[in-house]
Amino acid sequence: MDNMHDHAVEMLHIDKAFNDQKVLDDITFQLERGEIHALLGENGSGKTTLMRILFGIFKADAGEIKRDGATVEINNANDATALKIGMVHQHFELVEVYTALENIVLGAEDTRHGFLRKDLARKKLEGLISNYGLAVDLDEKIENLNVGARQRVEILKMLYRDNDVLIFDEPTAVLTPGETEELLQIMRNLKAEGKSIIFISHKLNELLAVSDRITVIRKGKYIGTVRAADTDEQTLSEMMVGRSVQLEVVKTRSNPGEPVLEVKHLVCASAFSEKNAVNDVSFRVRAGEIVSIAGISGNGQTELIYALTGLLPVKSGQILLCGQDVTESTVRKKSENLSHIPEDRQKHGVVMEFNLADNMILRRYRQDRYQKAGMVKKDAIREYAAGIIEANDVLCTGGVDSVMAGMSGGNQQKAVIGRELDMDRPLIIAMYPTRGVDVGAIEHIHKRLVQERDNGKAVLIASAELSEVMKLADRILVMHEGEIAGRLDPEKTTYEEIGLYMAGAKKDEKEDEWYE
Amino acid sequence: MNKNRNRFLYSTVPSLIAILAGLVFGAILMLIVCLMDKNITLGGFWDGARLLIIGFLSKGRDELGNLMFGYNGTHLGNMLFKATPLIMTGLSVAAAFKAGLFNIGAPGQYLMGLTASIVIALAIPSASVPAGLILVLALLGGMVAGAVWGMIPGALKAYLNVNEVITCILTNWIAANLSTLIFEGSAFINNTEPGKSGFLYKTAANGVELPKALLDKVFPGSQVNSGIIIAVILAVIMYFVISKSICGFEMRLCGSNREAARYCGINENANIIMSMAIAGALAGIGAALYTLSGNTEFAWSTYQKLPQVGFNGIPVALLGCLNPIGVIFTGMFMSALEINGQQIANLTAYNEYITSIIIGVIVYLSAFTKYIRGVMMHRRKKGGTKK
Ligand SMILES: Nc1ncnc2c1ncn2[C@@H]1O[C@H](COP(=O)(O)OP(=O)(O)O)[C@@H](O)[C@H]1O
Ligand SMILES: [Mg+2]
Repeated sequence: MDNMHDHAVEMLHIDKAFNDQKVLDDITFQLERGEIHALLGENGSGKTTLMRILFGIFKADAGEIKRDGATVEINNANDATALKIGMVHQHFELVEVYTALENIVLGAEDTRHGFLRKDLARKKLEGLISNYGLAVDLDEKIENLNVGARQRVEILKMLYRDNDVLIFDEPTAVLTPGETEELLQIMRNLKAEGKSIIFISHKLNELLAVSDRITVIRKGKYIGTVRAADTDEQTLSEMMVGRSVQLEVVKTRSNPGEPVLEVKHLVCASAFSEKNAVNDVSFRVRAGEIVSIAGISGNGQTELIYALTGLLPVKSGQILLCGQDVTESTVRKKSENLSHIPEDRQKHGVVMEFNLADNMILRRYRQDRYQKAGMVKKDAIREYAAGIIEANDVLCTGGVDSVMAGMSGGNQQKAVIGRELDMDRPLIIAMYPTRGVDVGAIEHIHKRLVQERDNGKAVLIASAELSEVMKLADRILVMHEGEIAGRLDPEKTTYEEIGLYMAGAKKDEKEDEWYE
Repeated sequence: MNKNRNRFLYSTVPSLIAILAGLVFGAILMLIVCLMDKNITLGGFWDGARLLIIGFLSKGRDELGNLMFGYNGTHLGNMLFKATPLIMTGLSVAAAFKAGLFNIGAPGQYLMGLTASIVIALAIPSASVPAGLILVLALLGGMVAGAVWGMIPGALKAYLNVNEVITCILTNWIAANLSTLIFEGSAFINNTEPGKSGFLYKTAANGVELPKALLDKVFPGSQVNSGIIIAVILAVIMYFVISKSICGFEMRLCGSNREAARYCGINENANIIMSMAIAGALAGIGAALYTLSGNTEFAWSTYQKLPQVGFNGIPVALLGCLNPIGVIFTGMFMSALEINGQQIANLTAYNEYITSIIIGVIVYLSAFTKYIRGVMMHRRKKGGTKK
């Protein structure tokens, strides 16, 4: 196996620094031909940076890259394409108003007399689609495609360019469990056709299910490479974090007190269809308990949370927060009694162009501590932000001056969670709180949420991860088509049963009692 | 501090490159014209090139016909005078940009400000009301008119999600026609000089003019007055508002991410309208400061054209890196170019169009400052981190 010509790609002794801070330190990564090789590491450990070096977006400060055994220079994405290396980025790079086909051929157009030869492209793509099971409607505009389909367009884009080294940077972070399963199957198909694949994910079960080997990096340093068949989740977590990790959540039975949030017969309109997105939903969350909303995404959870936090108008029904009717209240009024970890971090949670200090103060800048006569107190803000960064273990190369856009997704999430939990509100609403974060951070976030519960906070969590729901919840509400289909006790239910409620195969009759 | 120095370099160098490229282009253009036009000698080209850069320091020609340079109070004063409205429209565009809005409506806001302040300055008789009070009212009137004119596209964007660029262009032309409508046949038209009816009375005719504040002593023979001081003070205030105040923080927040602003409890619709009102008010004040110098004549029949100073706010803002302090300098630079152009036309065989072209090129290049900055940062990222 040591024959170097078996390697499709070798990255040897790679160094890289940003702002004089090393983010990659002597990293070696070797991809064998025809294997699925996973890259695992905490948020901010440098996975994306390493891949961007391979794809020519960044240049390594030191080290060597070999392709099929020959040393190569990769200075830009065109060089990478010429070497048949393709990448699906963490955030898609598609033109919304173009069709799937147009997006795919963009930059690699077959033309004759300056006109696009769409027929040639279509023929080739139809072949690829049926070969790998990549269902995509080529004539649909990107804006009309869901996340899973967009991702398949990105994959087709790579295949259309005849790439045979394929980089997937956290592709499953945005997918539903069903879509994830499809993607893993596509990856297996690609491998069977002889493609070499680099796969980044924080979900250990996925990595173990699909990859041949796993390379672990920690804080920019190479830790080791193991065969997937010879390892398990616990070992991988420990390699990655460098200490033992509690994968299970430790919590005592809840001891609920007074209701903090009461929702009665809530109805919200849908932006997409005639049917109500949230239809006659009633429940309550009491102090000292964690209520978790399970459901396949798109069943009204987003609208429900937006309505509760004031981002979406309520059609009918009533919302009581700490005993006050806040049904019609503004976001600002509501946030006096709740903190909100939003579903879409980059849309609502952070401002990408702002630095960390300004992002950490988003909820507090009007408080007297941070302003005087309408002028911001910069020093107080920086000090506050530094405290949040410290307490939540947010990795960033430039301290409070780091621009959000330059930070890894998981660290953005840690910062948002730190900011929101520091608000110290009686109700905490968290949607997908651990999306895209590594196991070490998940452990930390789960611990914090349970801690808040034990401090007497009411906690409402919406999650697409069943395992997360089961671990955290004191009570489970399952949403299906805008209604609460089932109210379950995590101690008494099973994954299978929740799955049936989520799919709509099982549904409880509405009780007279509106809550619980 | 190293970081601050870097930020300063990253913002000023691209603007300087754009300006320099424009001037080099201008010089080359002058050389080509010189080679093609038998009336212009190489000496004439050399004179023209020097005037292009330091025309505002020109003192005419000596008896031998050589250009003389030195302190010229008239030119410098006029440069400051012409910079006044440019700084204000530049501030207007910059403030809107910070809030994520492209205020191409500055010409209309300027025109409405101009109209309002002239009407107030001329309609209230200074015989019965103190001129100083009329002056203040005219300034405020210009500000309010500009603000209202800015709020219209703001409100349309906020509530109907209509792109502000389109509505700004529409409101510009409405302003142009409205202004003409107001003045047509009015008593404000100056008919005292036979054959000349295209202009309004100067506000000085009613005794309303901005105080000179001793600037006429420093810059004798020029039109400069306290307006430039007011513009600079407003620029400094805007600097603090945008980068240090809660209001500016919210404007930038809405400009960068409207959804996040909503999430933070900001009423983003109100914020858009407010930002456009501030932008409009700044343009309106610029118009008032210009017209209340007392000595400018307004050609009232504007329905077919928009004031160039409104559009030039865009390059002033861009070259000034959207920084109010930077805008002070770029406003002065643009007005200096105008003075230089006049000098070229007066003292050489070139005509004034050549400077219009050069200004046009610099305007065009100002749009590239962001690109140049991107290239600079990219190069640093690739090369600078090597040990
Ligand atoms: N463009 C950039 N400028 C400055 N720092 C960056 C940039 N990109 C990434 N970083 C920093 O490099 C580190 C590694 O980030 P990244 O490779 O995105 O991590 P991962 O993908 O493993 O989560 C982080 O600390 C991040 O803040
Ligand atoms: Mg990453």
